[in-house]
Amino acid sequence: MLRYLVKRLVTSVFLLVLSSILIFLLLRVIPGDPTITKLGGSIKNVNPRAIEAIRHQLGLDRSLPSQYVHWVGGVLHGNFGRSYFSQFPVTTLVSERIGATLELTILAMLIGLLISVPGAAIGAIWRNRWFDAFLSGFTAIGVATPAFVTGIILIVIFGLKLKLLPTQGYVSFANHPFVSLKTALLPAITLGIAVAAPILRILRASITDVETAPFIRTAEGKGLFRRQVVVRHVLPNAAIPALTTVGVIVGSLLGGAVVVEYVFARPGLGTLMVDSVFQRDYGVLQTLVLLAAAAFIFTSLVVDLLYGVVDPRLRTVRGDE
Amino acid sequence: MSAAGATIELALDRRRRNAFIRLVRRPPAALAAGVVLVLVVGAAAAPLVAPYKPNAINFTHLFAPPSATHLFGTDELGRDLLTRVMYGGRTSLEIAAAATLISMIAGTLWGFVAAFRKGWVGETLMRIADAAMGMPVILLGLVLVAAFGASTTSLIVILGCLFAPATARLARSSLLSELQSDYYLAAVSVGASARRIVLGELLPNTLPVLLARATLVAADAIFVEASLSFVGLGVQPPGTSWGTLLQAGYTNLYRSYWYPIFPGLVILVAVLALNILGDNLQRVLDPARA
Repeated sequence: MLRYLVKRLVTSVFLLVLSSILIFLLLRVIPGDPTITKLGGSIKNVNPRAIEAIRHQLGLDRSLPSQYVHWVGGVLHGNFGRSYFSQFPVTTLVSERIGATLELTILAMLIGLLISVPGAAIGAIWRNRWFDAFLSGFTAIGVATPAFVTGIILIVIFGLKLKLLPTQGYVSFANHPFVSLKTALLPAITLGIAVAAPILRILRASITDVETAPFIRTAEGKGLFRRQVVVRHVLPNAAIPALTTVGVIVGSLLGGAVVVEYVFARPGLGTLMVDSVFQRDYGVLQTLVLLAAAAFIFTSLVVDLLYGVVDPRLRTVRGDE
Repeated sequence: MSAAGATIELALDRRRRNAFIRLVRRPPAALAAGVVLVLVVGAAAAPLVAPYKPNAINFTHLFAPPSATHLFGTDELGRDLLTRVMYGGRTSLEIAAAATLISMIAGTLWGFVAAFRKGWVGETLMRIADAAMGMPVILLGLVLVAAFGASTTSLIVILGCLFAPATARLARSSLLSELQSDYYLAAVSVGASARRIVLGELLPNTLPVLLARATLVAADAIFVEASLSFVGLGVQPPGTSWGTLLQAGYTNLYRSYWYPIFPGLVILVAVLALNILGDNLQRVLDPARA
């Protein structure tokens, strides 16, 4: 187990380093200078000395390796650099925006699990052909629907027609918990549906696998109710392969948040990222994407380690590697 | 060609034809293929079949809801939305097709090289793929847009780059399993040239897997192009794609909620149909993996 753990940790760190190099190079090698947007878009009337001064101030006149080391070194010490555009430290920008994103992603994950797990369980207990068809339809459509389409439909129904829920903006949870949750509800449902569909799909596939296992026949043979068989025996075993998918989804929630926050005009990390692309604010963009990659790699690491906890068989098998 | 060779050719031929028939016999697959065909023809033949001219402005019919004369309604300049969706499909489908082609060619090359070069070259290639896949697609897309800029051409390159790593991983794993096969051993033992083995033996045998993958990549490409265009970082005006139509509809949501609905539904239907088609292709062509 220890050897496996160490090996897994080393590959994760290595992947993260590789990701950071990839992000860094993509944003440097291709022409397009952030100083131009900073000076007002048109380069014609700008004093070249001013450009030089800004390039120096942002550290863009240094060699690529030196820039990279400076950036990564800063991130490792908790210094995420400054925005090229607004001069605010990235840490400040992130702390201003992270609340809206965290609330959205946590709620979305909850909603996603609340749809997918009971859905799969009911499907397995009830074994109704029509309900199964409904679940298949839901997953197929849910996977194929871009979040902004779901979002717009929800805005039309609940915002414009029924006038039940707010459709724009963000209210801090700390200040007004109730209003905050109400504002977050539609975006969270939007992202939640996008989250639920793939989880439901993988859960149902692995339930089908588990159903044929001998211990299920035993459980049924000893006279348990269908509900007991599903809840105690099928679901826990089916959940193990689904863990990977859940991990991938948790890691990519920030990607989904980009579009959802845009639709619902939430000032979160997603909208911050889109803004930074518009402004060529690489200082913000590179750090945000690196943080997202770190979150992604970290969740998949945690999921892999969880496997060892959830399924004792894997501990010995993998430890022998 | 020897008689035995001809028999094998025939059997292979029959197997391929069967695969097509088996695909069409699956009702969802047949329906999905029909939908894709309608969308492609609708876009390609837009100048012939579209009910209006794409830029025919009509100030007496701004933001019209769907009706018999305008099936999808009209936009902020009174232009017919069905027509706009058909013309937008040209951009969206063109981008998706070209990006799929790029990602398939680049990814297959990438994966094949990684499979053949077992040492540090292969290892490095796959780790780069892992690193690229270790980021949410939309976020890596944003980085690439920041790098390459937002235009139709750069979108094709961007989407091609986005989906190449996953294709590379698939190409590598399916090639590795082919390298275990008897026919590969036979080809090597009769001294066939490397070129002949790769192009004549290995590529045709991995093609079914890659074909199914290409369909799914096309679906993802439409999805991501629409997402990027929707936030304003994809196709730029005056260019029109499904994503930009949806964005225009979204900004006018409070004047006409019909406006974004149809472009949105078309994106949904296109992605759904391609996904269904890809899943079924996978089941028919590559039953072991599906």
